[in-house]
Amino acid sequence: MNGTIVIEVQRYRPEQDPHPWWQAFELDYRPEMSVLDALHQIRDRHDSGLAYRWSCRMAICGSCGLMVDGVPRLGCKTFLRDYYPDRIRLGPLAHFPIERDLIVDLRDFLDKLAAVKPYLIRAAQDERPSEPRRQTPAQLARFLPFAQCISCGLCYAACPEYGLNNRFFGPAALALLHRYNRDSRDQGRAERLPTMNAEDGVWGCTFVGYCSQVCPKGVDPAAAINQGKIVSVIDYVRHLVGLSPATLGQDATQEGER
Amino acid sequence: MAGQEGGALDSASGTDRPPSGSLSFVDSIKTDIAIVGAGGAGLRAALAAAEARPDLGIALISKVVPMRSHTVAAEGGAAGVVQAHDRLEDHFNDTVSGGDWLCEQDVVEFFVRRAAAELTQLEHWGCPWSRQADGRVAVRAFGGMGTERTWYAADKTGFHLLTTLFQTALRHPGIRRFDEHFCLDLLVADGRVQGVVALDLAAGAIRLIQAKAVILATGGAGRVYRFNTNGGIVTGDGLALAYRHRVPLRDMEFVQYHPTGLPGTGVLVTEGCRGEGGILLNRDGYRYLQDYGLGPETPIGQPRNRTMELGPRDRLSQAFWFEQQKGRTLRHPVWGDVVQLDLRHLGEARIDERLPFVRELARAYANVDPVHEPIPVRPAVHYTMGGIETDCRAATRLPGLFAVGECASTGLHGANRLGSNSLTELLVFGRVAGEEAAQIAATTSLDASPALRREADAIAARARSLINPDGQESVPALRDALGEAMEAGLGIFRTEEGMQQTADQIASLKRRYRAARVTDRSNVFNTEWLQALELGFLLDVAEAMVHSALARRESRGAHHRLDAYRSRDDERFLKHTLSRFRDDGPPEIGHAPVTITTSPPAQRSYGGDGRGSGER
Amino acid sequence: MSARRPYIRPMPRTWWLRNPVFRRYMLREATALFVGGYGLVLLWGLSALRQGEGAWLAYLAGLSHPLALAFHTLALAMALYHTVTWFALTPKLMPSRIGNRPIPARWVKAAHYGLFALCSLVILLLAAGVH
Ligand SMILES: Cc1cc2nc3c(=O)[nH]c(=O)nc-3n(C[C@H](O)[C@H](O)[C@H](O)COP(=O)(O)OP(=O)(O)OC[C@H]3O[C@@H](n4cnc5c(N)ncnc54)[C@H](O)[C@@H]3O)c2cc1C
Ligand code: SF4
Ligand code: FES
Repeated sequence: MNGTIVIEVQRYRPEQDPHPWWQAFELDYRPEMSVLDALHQIRDRHDSGLAYRWSCRMAICGSCGLMVDGVPRLGCKTFLRDYYPDRIRLGPLAHFPIERDLIVDLRDFLDKLAAVKPYLIRAAQDERPSEPRRQTPAQLARFLPFAQCISCGLCYAACPEYGLNNRFFGPAALALLHRYNRDSRDQGRAERLPTMNAEDGVWGCTFVGYCSQVCPKGVDPAAAINQGKIVSVIDYVRHLVGLSPATLGQDATQEGER
Repeated sequence: MAGQEGGALDSASGTDRPPSGSLSFVDSIKTDIAIVGAGGAGLRAALAAAEARPDLGIALISKVVPMRSHTVAAEGGAAGVVQAHDRLEDHFNDTVSGGDWLCEQDVVEFFVRRAAAELTQLEHWGCPWSRQADGRVAVRAFGGMGTERTWYAADKTGFHLLTTLFQTALRHPGIRRFDEHFCLDLLVADGRVQGVVALDLAAGAIRLIQAKAVILATGGAGRVYRFNTNGGIVTGDGLALAYRHRVPLRDMEFVQYHPTGLPGTGVLVTEGCRGEGGILLNRDGYRYLQDYGLGPETPIGQPRNRTMELGPRDRLSQAFWFEQQKGRTLRHPVWGDVVQLDLRHLGEARIDERLPFVRELARAYANVDPVHEPIPVRPAVHYTMGGIETDCRAATRLPGLFAVGECASTGLHGANRLGSNSLTELLVFGRVAGEEAAQIAATTSLDASPALRREADAIAARARSLINPDGQESVPALRDALGEAMEAGLGIFRTEEGMQQTADQIASLKRRYRAARVTDRSNVFNTEWLQALELGFLLDVAEAMVHSALARRESRGAHHRLDAYRSRDDERFLKHTLSRFRDDGPPEIGHAPVTITTSPPAQRSYGGDGRGSGER
Repeated sequence: MSARRPYIRPMPRTWWLRNPVFRRYMLREATALFVGGYGLVLLWGLSALRQGEGAWLAYLAGLSHPLALAFHTLALAMALYHTVTWFALTPKLMPSRIGNRPIPARWVKAAHYGLFALCSLVILLLAAGVH
């Protein structure tokens, strides 16, 4: 079972290369090896200059996103055995500027995550700051799936809308917005509405749905965004009949789920 | 389909114009507080400082984006007394006996009193703690704890804790992030710390960040070993930086092995599994822990605190070693010796609710589904109990310098940390460090900086001098040799001879390190150079560990010897080890007294002998 | 000063050809053309009806032309494709739960198909009644 496998890696060294190029390596193959292990092997044995990000190697830190045969994946959770004996092509995450080799510039993405006000917003000071508030398991379950995002960026590499227009807020950021909107402890929905309603908010999405397919943590950003569209429409209608968003109270999609 | 995500792609390299070499250093930034490390500890410190003084400038420096810090990997939970029947004294006693009486008891008192308030604060910031049916926070059992007091967010507690802190920090304009900035050194002048020098990994530029107070929150050093539960970035940087500036490292001999790492990768399987009722079996399907003073055997599905699988980590890891000696472990063709962690009796629903991440990890990295099969596990290096010596206020001996989190030794954990105490530690002491630093910043002024600039230049040049394409020694080979040496001599059990051998090997590795080969001269994300820098840190930390261990001629907590010093010796060794860096040779080892307030040293007993909560 | 020189990859016009997911997505978007075309045909019929019997009969005759039949078959296929892909997405839009437990996606989809069948049946019956 232990043979060799050919891995092609896209290289780009900004201080040397005018543009990216491909380099092939033949590696010792073991079935338990992940793509990340393969990168380590290349770096340790063949080319110490190969640059890539990684840390936890347990699919939780979000560092190691890359394109495996054109599909966005986590290197530490993708195994060579699923490709062997075919060769594998590894490239940097699509749609982001390449800094070097497999390292991309995620700043735009991280700024968008930060811009959706991803924290609890409360109307007034909490009455009993020294006690935990109550939240039932059912209330928790309403937002928990959307709170699993490890900011790996795979969904942005999967989203053609983001690729075509990077002003679009994109999957993870809108899912994060949705996560806070759905938290029973949050009262900041009105503050987040302008972001949602904007052209580059939920309406920038054409429901390709690929983001949810590639997400390694089951966040389902496509669901979050399209539920956001419903919220946005209801907000629009209420606006037409003269209700201000501040009087909206709870999330509109919430009521149907009791 | 490959090859599509680029424009024109050559199949050969481009012009091969060699990179320009060194960039001279760029900007110098003045701020009030510099925090190195943006894991749980660093973020909590930043929040505390920003809340105490919103006008302060806080530089939050991290070699990775904060969410990638290894706090993200913590699974099980965070301890804090919250149940009506639980008591602060019990948490105190569990911690002190768990630490084999090497804890600073005043620090433990302070800690247990602050614990629940910090976890509550996190709730108010939005942490999705797991809940009971009525909406109150749920708590689970954890090893060495006398009652259920570990708060958890399913089995991704660290992830949620870190996310909550990170996102809350976004609200504070005073916190300026320096993501992917690698701290090369501390700036020390006139007997106090004056800032740090960091390398901007993307730009390849060096930045001088001048500050009135510096907080080190750089995490542990698990990567000195090969087989460990830690992320690749956990390389003891802060420990080594402080140490090289003659700040003593305390109790470095105590390295915790976690009893349940996945074989092969070392990926952690949380103690929460056993808290929920998981059991450990040897090759005969026998719950071997009962043979090691942790029994009597508890009925399956009814875990009892401080008994059997809920014993402390040092004991459980030692039991594995004995089973291995007796040939009662399973032998896996690729992974070597393992025992089995059986969760099947918990059922799919419970596993999916409480331990979904464990299921995901076991499937991916061990190819077993814990709903249907037991998980193969073996002990893996997990946690550095020792660290930069601090007082109860997180201050080190170097004025202006604070340390917090896993890189610090407040004296909380003693000779063996109890699981779930350290996430809480990040919060309790992170906050203290932030508040203290804010106070210092309010009363200190920044010096004019020509001398500092020269110093920064020198630091940059020193770091740069590591780039040496003609070097003879391979960095990965040195790193692997270090890991092997540590495992051989400083594992679960130790002997004088083995430790001495490891010490000699480390000395030789340090010599060889001077001829390390680093070929990449480029500036943008020069990860080869970073690896070499990190190896330098690892070597210094390893040296402190082995010499501290050699000096402790007794067995206590995670430091267990098989030679003439098999038992605890309070007479001679109820004291901390202090390790001080020396340029030319092994560290100087000294000792410091242990603060005992209410709990005089006693026999450490678990299982049937240790009924109730700790030994009072 | 910085040594950065980020490489920005252009998004080629053929981006959607590279990935089967994108190809299916583009097909779903393209179905709109056929559904829209069908709408135009209906409009034409309406205006014929208003113009009188002659126009209406001409319209009906036009409908039985082989080309028109081919178009209708294609439009039906496209509409069905759209329906199927759209129904597949509906569970994402309606994250319904009963108490603590989410309603399985299968049920949401099944409910849509049920409704679809019911509507079709009613229309068919109505059509049969007219004849
Ligand atoms: C797998 C695993 C599971 C665990 N589970 C639990 C648990 O359930 N309960 C519990 O209480 N404890 C647990 N622990 C222990 C606990 O998680 C850690 O002790 C704690 O998270 C350490 O936090 P920290 O903030 O000190 O460091 P880290 O989170 O490791 O952060 C270190 C920071 O320092 C930065 N840094 C390091 N070096 C440099 C440098 N040279 N320049 C710039 N920045 C630098 C890093 O970028 C990072 O931001 C677990 C540990 C592991 C490994
Ligand atoms: S939503 Fe999923 S794919 Fe997108 S960044 Fe988060 S974890 Fe990654
Ligand atoms: S290395 Fe952390 S997600 Fe892959």
